[in-house]
Amino acid sequence: MTSRAADAYSAHEPPPPPGGSSKAGLIGGAFGAGLLVVVTLAVAGWVSAAGKRLVTPEAEKPKVAVADHAEVGYCTPRFKEVLERVLHSCGLSEGDARRGCKPADVKTFASISDEDFNELFTPLKDRGAVIMFAEGMDELDDKAKKLLEEKWFARKGARYFFVVARASKTGTQSKNRALSHRRANSVMYHLQSVANDPEIDKKVGLLWLGNEFAQLSKDYCTWPNSGDAKCDEEAINRSAFVSWVDCRL
Amino acid sequence: MIGPNSKVPAAVALAASVLGLIFASYSTMDYAQHLDRRLHDVHCSFIPGAPPTSEAEACRAAMYSPYSALFKDSLWGGVPISLFALGAFTFFAGFALYLLLSGPRAPRDNVTLFGWVSLTPLAASITMFTISLMKLGQLCQTCVGIYISSFLLAAGGIGMLLGGTEGRPRGNSLLALGWLVALGVVTLVPAAVYASSVPDQRPYLTQCGELKQPKMKAGEPVKVRGTQAVKQVLFFEDPLCPTCKAFHERLVTEGVFERLDTDLVLFPLDSECNWMLDRPLHPGACIVSKAVLCGGAQARQVLDWAYAEQTYLSRAGKAGADVMRAAIKQRWGAELLACVDDRKTDVRLNQHLHFASDNSIPVSTPQVYFGNKRICDEDTDIGLRFTLKQLAPEVLP
Repeated sequence: MTSRAADAYSAHEPPPPPGGSSKAGLIGGAFGAGLLVVVTLAVAGWVSAAGKRLVTPEAEKPKVAVADHAEVGYCTPRFKEVLERVLHSCGLSEGDARRGCKPADVKTFASISDEDFNELFTPLKDRGAVIMFAEGMDELDDKAKKLLEEKWFARKGARYFFVVARASKTGTQSKNRALSHRRANSVMYHLQSVANDPEIDKKVGLLWLGNEFAQLSKDYCTWPNSGDAKCDEEAINRSAFVSWVDCRL
Repeated sequence: MIGPNSKVPAAVALAASVLGLIFASYSTMDYAQHLDRRLHDVHCSFIPGAPPTSEAEACRAAMYSPYSALFKDSLWGGVPISLFALGAFTFFAGFALYLLLSGPRAPRDNVTLFGWVSLTPLAASITMFTISLMKLGQLCQTCVGIYISSFLLAAGGIGMLLGGTEGRPRGNSLLALGWLVALGVVTLVPAAVYASSVPDQRPYLTQCGELKQPKMKAGEPVKVRGTQAVKQVLFFEDPLCPTCKAFHERLVTEGVFERLDTDLVLFPLDSECNWMLDRPLHPGACIVSKAVLCGGAQARQVLDWAYAEQTYLSRAGKAGADVMRAAIKQRWGAELLACVDDRKTDVRLNQHLHFASDNSIPVSTPQVYFGNKRICDEDTDIGLRFTLKQLAPEVLP
């Protein structure tokens, strides 16, 4: 009914009979009371339903991602198996005793052929780099330090940093082992000096290889490296391969 | 012109009451649903009957705000104000129907009383409308529905007053007083029922995990010490995360932030630096996080700026790193930008992210830890004051 119609209707109505207001009051009151009952029951129902859900585990709980270290495509089971053996058997420190990985150990722990061992690192070509050393030397030159730092500080989500030092394809085994060890240590000392990380020993897996295992072929000269001289099979093995490894163990 | 015997004002008041009842029901139902500590879609539309939606930021912000409920200290989530609206509109619906049916037979005392008390929902609505605009900076559609209903109800009431009471029976003043008492009782009943039946949330407050390594092994969190700091707390935040902004504003509004000694760990949800995401949820968040890290003694100001300018910075982040860098340079100068571009800052941010992964925290922000204990997400929004009262009462002013 419009306002105008309502006004016209009321203007021509006879005077209201007594008692009509009481009836309207009863209806209005009953309506209000009924609404109140409905509203109250609804509120109680909503709260009660929530209370029941509270104590009932969700059938399909929404999955929430959990923060973790990076895990990328090359982290195959085989890669992780070798990585784990190498890291935990010889690379990382446990407690106060730091351990290294001797060439003979690597063969034993990795249980893997030379070629397969080197093949594992192929996916790390762009993530890592080959730090080159002068013949018979174990000091890092400026270019090597720069490249090493660049790789170290590009950690992103990686958990472990691999250092695989080598010496030479020629010469005696013992001399090569010692030189390789010193080169691995040079890398480690430099990292310690720039990283300011009290737990660096738990991140860096350090291996040093003599000339009896996993020597690099000339093909590795195409990998990012710190050398500026001509690269050949002899030069590429006077090196330490370094890389973060984006795998969880 | 409305005549003294017109039924239009009463009809308008009845319609407004029913409309208000519907909107207040939606609001209350949404609130009550969240008592199960889960995340639900909420009603957020001017249209009665519109389904709940996940796109309801304004309504969610209103629901989580300190102004949405009373007694938030003593009840988890408090007693939502919509319950009082529910009761009041119930009363007004009954009263308006009575006036509509009785027409000119309605006693003048009752008509006058209705006219005046019909203004009370409008007064409450004006108060809440002002708070929404001034404090929250946005209007929730369901709330606006209640405001409109209150306005229409008041219009009906004023219409009755303007129509005059000539020719009406005088009525009984005591009865009119009875209506007033009934208004009070009916308004309080739904709230009382709600308050007496809400489930006890205390057993759940500390069930959301804990840090495995509470201290960062490498690097430092950003220290933000409030002026009246009494409690150590650890936050994981993303400066471009809207939920973090809302949480930060709640803490400030509640007067809690200044009483916290905050260790802030930056956890930008941006795949540019955060490897835990396959795409950037908040593009540019890595750069802004680095700006906060570079803030040094001004870190709080940089964080406040990031939250205050979040919409603009989010657009800048989508436009590209250079646009974001320009925005930072314009506000904070070349020196801070140089720090942002420094490799050492990358390392610091990376240390924050590794702290998150070392602790296997959920990939979400914000996260709050008192000591080792994580505060559940739902306890940082609806249940914030109750949770603080239980776990850290000293931070409540």
